[in-house]
Amino acid sequence: MRKIAVFAGAAAVAVGAAALASLPSSAQDNAKLEQLKAQGFARVAIANEPPYTAVAADGKVSGAAPDVAREIFKRLGVPEIVASISEYGAMIPGLQAGRHDVVTAGLFMKPERCAAVVYSEPVLCDAEALLVKKGNPKGFKSYADVAKDESATVGAPGGGTEEKLALDAGVPRDRVIVVPDGQSGLKMVQDGRIDAYSLPVLSINDLMKKANDSNLEVIAPVEGAPVYCDGAAFKKGDEALRDAFNVELAKMKESGEFAKIIEPYGFSAAAAMSTTMEKLCAPAQ
Amino acid sequence: MEWDWNFVWQIMPTLLQGVKITILATLLGSVLAAIVGLGIALLRRSPNRIVSRTTGFVAEFIRGTPLLVQLYFIFYVLPDIGILLPPLLAGVIGLGLHYGTYTAEVYRAGIDNVPRGQWEAAKACNLSASQTWTRIIMPQAIPPMIPALANYFIAMFKETPLLSAITVLELMNQAKSVANTYYRYIEPITLVGAFFLAISLVSVVLLRFLEHRYGRIER
Repeated sequence: MRKIAVFAGAAAVAVGAAALASLPSSAQDNAKLEQLKAQGFARVAIANEPPYTAVAADGKVSGAAPDVAREIFKRLGVPEIVASISEYGAMIPGLQAGRHDVVTAGLFMKPERCAAVVYSEPVLCDAEALLVKKGNPKGFKSYADVAKDESATVGAPGGGTEEKLALDAGVPRDRVIVVPDGQSGLKMVQDGRIDAYSLPVLSINDLMKKANDSNLEVIAPVEGAPVYCDGAAFKKGDEALRDAFNVELAKMKESGEFAKIIEPYGFSAAAAMSTTMEKLCAPAQ
Repeated sequence: MEWDWNFVWQIMPTLLQGVKITILATLLGSVLAAIVGLGIALLRRSPNRIVSRTTGFVAEFIRGTPLLVQLYFIFYVLPDIGILLPPLLAGVIGLGLHYGTYTAEVYRAGIDNVPRGQWEAAKACNLSASQTWTRIIMPQAIPPMIPALANYFIAMFKETPLLSAITVLELMNQAKSVANTYYRYIEPITLVGAFFLAISLVSVVLLRFLEHRYGRIER
């Protein structure tokens, strides 16, 4: 009898502990934010694709997405962000593996990404563009045009939106070349290794400005490709941090400070404010 | 994160395509490395000092710089002077040249190890230079080289993932592309490791056989 009583007592304690652990969910939610505050910085993943994300020669991180994130984290009480450069495809697995706290890299919201991470409200919106040789010798207007021409190749960042758009448009895998970075893509178009290089409009424009090559031309926007918006992407389970982020983001959108940060980079604040995460994450009809 | 066999079967065809390219690059690269290495080893023995010194300098230069840098150079810089190579060819040339400088050292050691008396005996028998090389020196020099050459063959095989930097869709690049699409690394990268291990083990058995069959010196 006594044994049973001990058991019952132990069970009661265990149940009580479990209840205690699950009860104060708000305190547990903010654990992530508290942890970031304590360490004094948040780890963000970026891509070094101006104007979305950029790393200057002296190592300073800028670009529209990290600038917005830096300001919001400051308001949340996290004074600094530490960025690491990553491939687009590696960002979500990196987030899941706990290598970054948040992705702020122009990682456009798409239903399958929304299923893998939790997004904030929209931050940066942009359409897609193609970089081609002067005069657009193959006459590309859309990814479908690339698919139709059997000798045409298109370059895109690995795991990026453009790679999937090209594949979805019917360009076979061996004609979608995975290009490691913007400079390589530009060089490959110049050398004639690929017929087109695809990135968002503002990124291509930035590349063109730097390259200053009159033998190249930008086709923008790509016909049939939708306008995408990115958001800060958090790990599943960090919904509370995301919610806190959203509150500050909404305040900044309201006060106009949001526009002040992103518009110098060429992004439209109105575009980001005209849509919501929920709409962008809804599966395509 | 859990292992998902359905996902494994789904990505298997893509990875197998990568395996094909990896094996192709290794085989072509090792043939090139064997030829380049022999060329370097022979040129370095040239009595003409300009030839031997120049070859030595070039070989040391290639051996002393990283393969990845050379691949970038061949792929992204050579087009500036009008040499535009397809990715796989650029990769094979990079691997072949780089490993050629290693195999050259193996050849050198093999040739230097043939006793001096053999050269003298060949001369005494009035054999021509080509007869001396093909009948006397090479048959004695090559067998001890086989294990060392096999070593570089396997090392080269395992360095093929570097080719992903110059857009060759080999095994590693295919796996990354799969991971990029499905946000899962565990299956693709584990499979890459398994493929490399399996092929290495099979190659080791084959190379042991070669060593066993041809690796003995007939004196």
